Amino acid sequence: MDFLSPVINGFGVVLEPMNLLYCLIGVVIGMLIGVLPGLGPAATIAILLPLTYGVEPVTAIIMLSGIFYGAQYGGTITSVLLRLPGEASSVVTVFDGFALARQGKAGTALGIAAIGSFFGGTVSIIGLTLLAPVVAGFALDFGPPEYTALAMLGILLVATVSNGSKLKSIIAASLGLLLATVGRDTFTGESRFTFDNLSLADGLDFVPIAMGIFGLGEILYNLEERHNKVQAPAKVANVWPSRKDLKESSGAIGRGSLLGFFLGILPGGGATIASLAAYAMEKKRAKNPERFGRGAVEGVAAPESANNAAATSSFIPLLTLGIPANATMAIIFGALLIQGVTPGPQLVQNDPELFWGVVNSMYIGNILLLIMSIPLVGIFVKILRVRAAILAPITVLITLIGVYTINNSIFDIWLVIVFGILGYLMKKFGFEPGPLVLAFVLGSLLEENLRRSLLLFGGDPAGFIGRPISGVLLLVFLLVMLLPLLQKAFRKTRSTAPAVEVRHEEKERV
Amino acid sequence: MTILIGYLPTPEGEAALEAGIAEGQLRRESIVILNSPRKGAPVDAALASAEQVTELLRRAEVAGVDATIRQPGHTDDLTDEFIDIADEIDASLIVIGLRRRSQVGKFILGSHSQRILLQADRPVLAVKVREKS
Amino acid sequence: MISASNQEVSSGGSVTNAAAGNGPSPAIADELPEPLTAEQLAAEWDEERPPHAGPLANVAAAVATAALGAAGLAMSVAMGLGSPEKPEPGLWPFIISLVMIAMSVALLVFGRKKLDAEAFSSSSWQVAAGVATLVGFVLVVGVAGFEIPTLLLTFVWLRFLGKETWRMSILLSFAVTAAFYLIFVVALSVPIPHLF
Repeated sequence: MDFLSPVINGFGVVLEPMNLLYCLIGVVIGMLIGVLPGLGPAATIAILLPLTYGVEPVTAIIMLSGIFYGAQYGGTITSVLLRLPGEASSVVTVFDGFALARQGKAGTALGIAAIGSFFGGTVSIIGLTLLAPVVAGFALDFGPPEYTALAMLGILLVATVSNGSKLKSIIAASLGLLLATVGRDTFTGESRFTFDNLSLADGLDFVPIAMGIFGLGEILYNLEERHNKVQAPAKVANVWPSRKDLKESSGAIGRGSLLGFFLGILPGGGATIASLAAYAMEKKRAKNPERFGRGAVEGVAAPESANNAAATSSFIPLLTLGIPANATMAIIFGALLIQGVTPGPQLVQNDPELFWGVVNSMYIGNILLLIMSIPLVGIFVKILRVRAAILAPITVLITLIGVYTINNSIFDIWLVIVFGILGYLMKKFGFEPGPLVLAFVLGSLLEENLRRSLLLFGGDPAGFIGRPISGVLLLVFLLVMLLPLLQKAFRKTRSTAPAVEVRHEEKERV
Repeated sequence: MTILIGYLPTPEGEAALEAGIAEGQLRRESIVILNSPRKGAPVDAALASAEQVTELLRRAEVAGVDATIRQPGHTDDLTDEFIDIADEIDASLIVIGLRRRSQVGKFILGSHSQRILLQADRPVLAVKVREKS
Repeated sequence: MISASNQEVSSGGSVTNAAAGNGPSPAIADELPEPLTAEQLAAEWDEERPPHAGPLANVAAAVATAALGAAGLAMSVAMGLGSPEKPEPGLWPFIISLVMIAMSVALLVFGRKKLDAEAFSSSSWQVAAGVATLVGFVLVVGVAGFEIPTLLLTFVWLRFLGKETWRMSILLSFAVTAAFYLIFVVALSVPIPHLF
């Protein structure tokens, strides 16, 4: 059982008091922002990046990942109680969750959601534990050409499977790649796009860009008046789900967890798609589908299990291959880079403490969330009374002062402002910010591997196809790129997933 | 002619509603209940829920008073909104509930009821909560 | 729908968004309530958003990104392209700029029908005002420490952008500034420029 010992060591890492504390902080913050409209997990993680500078890499990532999957729990609370999804991945929960609340069974809905989320997260973590070393082992044979192809594929997948227009996402990604070239070229030493500015000579830092585009961009976007509905406070009768409810939803939980696990691994997939798919699947296989939308527990159990499972499994491509599956993972990727850790196949081998520490922290985090989510519901609903206008200046100040603390650089604050404006404009014009940040993060790695590969092949691009793995990856790349054109040519029938416009409040898609 | 009642789901608001309904009976006038939440947050405790609204209207009906309720939601100033609506419906009387606050408390936290009392150009009935003896 | 079911009791009142609390079940019959459909929810949310921008928005965006791409193209050519065998610094940015221009043109041609941009409205000026305060913040912070710009920024955002009362705005801005001082300067000893 040799492969279990690093796993067990990982638990040792997690149980260190500092890591436990940061795990708790992470999941609480995650739940908070999942409940509050306006800021999403990606924005919050971006804004809190400066906090990661003073601590160990493990501790930092434990906290950041806690924010991420904690937000999935939080979003459910407002969906059920107020018909207001806190997160894009909680949208589907509104249908049956709110119906249950209207029947006086809000506690049931929340309880089932918590249990389902816990189960989904746990299944995913187990899958991660088993699958990750396998994938990493397989990827150890990767050389520069494989990494090039993989990076390109990753960027393309996130760009094409994203919410908005694919063209715009690719444009955003190209901009991200361009931004990555600013600074000194590692191969030749020449300065690119620096306009003789000393601060730009070393290239653009990831953190101000992420904080600007995600954090400040979203804050600015929220400044515009949207006709926000106000609701009366909802009371939660503390009814724990009955045994019958649990039995009815057990199937849905199981199926949702598995579906979520697999959908989360795909780049561009993620919690939102998983919740939609799980709901649709349950509805299809139900004996009386008319129950859905009127308070069917499966309608809550399935999407909630799926979205937590997907959120957790989306860590797999990042931790094993070094390819972020979505925007939030891209930010965490950047956070790791700052700490001097390069995610990739060698991570499992070279830094098992980090890898297993983070993975095992998810078990603990999920347990903490399950314990906290029901008793704290009342408090969270009270927090919803705080007006956005009061939170806005606080978050903006945290962002501006926070970025300053990294390098004591006023230039960094300017960067955040500039990219904040860019982030706002992008949101207004319908450009997804995720592909930009993703491409930026992968950009230098991509270029480095591309040039190394070209050196290897003596300048002959056909060499990529010569190697089996990179050839396959490039083939997939071409397929994904040409897919929309093929679809138009053959006019396939549309899929039957519920056609919900998930553009509500522009929560960034996870 | 109508009576404008400012309502909150608090003892003061209840007192105002009771007094307003009583006045409506006395004067044989209809009442408009104004329950305006502050916009900007998803939840506001000042807003009466749908069940509460039904209950309020039922009470008015039982008393034989014709009632409507408005829940517009304000961003800036409740006082201005109050007075604007009073003008709009040409209220014969405004009924509001007063909280027992010290003078310092009123200064720091502000008091809409004080401003309505001072700024309204129609009669204002300020109701206190009846102490249970 | 939820609001509609309460209209039977009164006339004229605009019963806006009284969401069902979670007390006893509705006194209306014991039947199961109407299910929400995806379309209804989506329609409600669409109401709340600013209106969609016209096709010009996509055109403008495409032109802007094409211009960016062209600039990148020009600058990367200046850096030297080299060849696949011996790439020069300009090669990679050149390729990306090409992609960008190509996609921008595609957006220009195909994207006009899509209505996925939001229109700017009068409240968009609030964003501009917000940015102005941020710029002011940065300009002052290096010179006078962070306390004053924090105080002013918080006040402006609360009073003018958030429409809070004067009293609340003043009180809260002092509170926030004090909190930041305590946390950043006293507790964490973060090296931000400060007056006191």
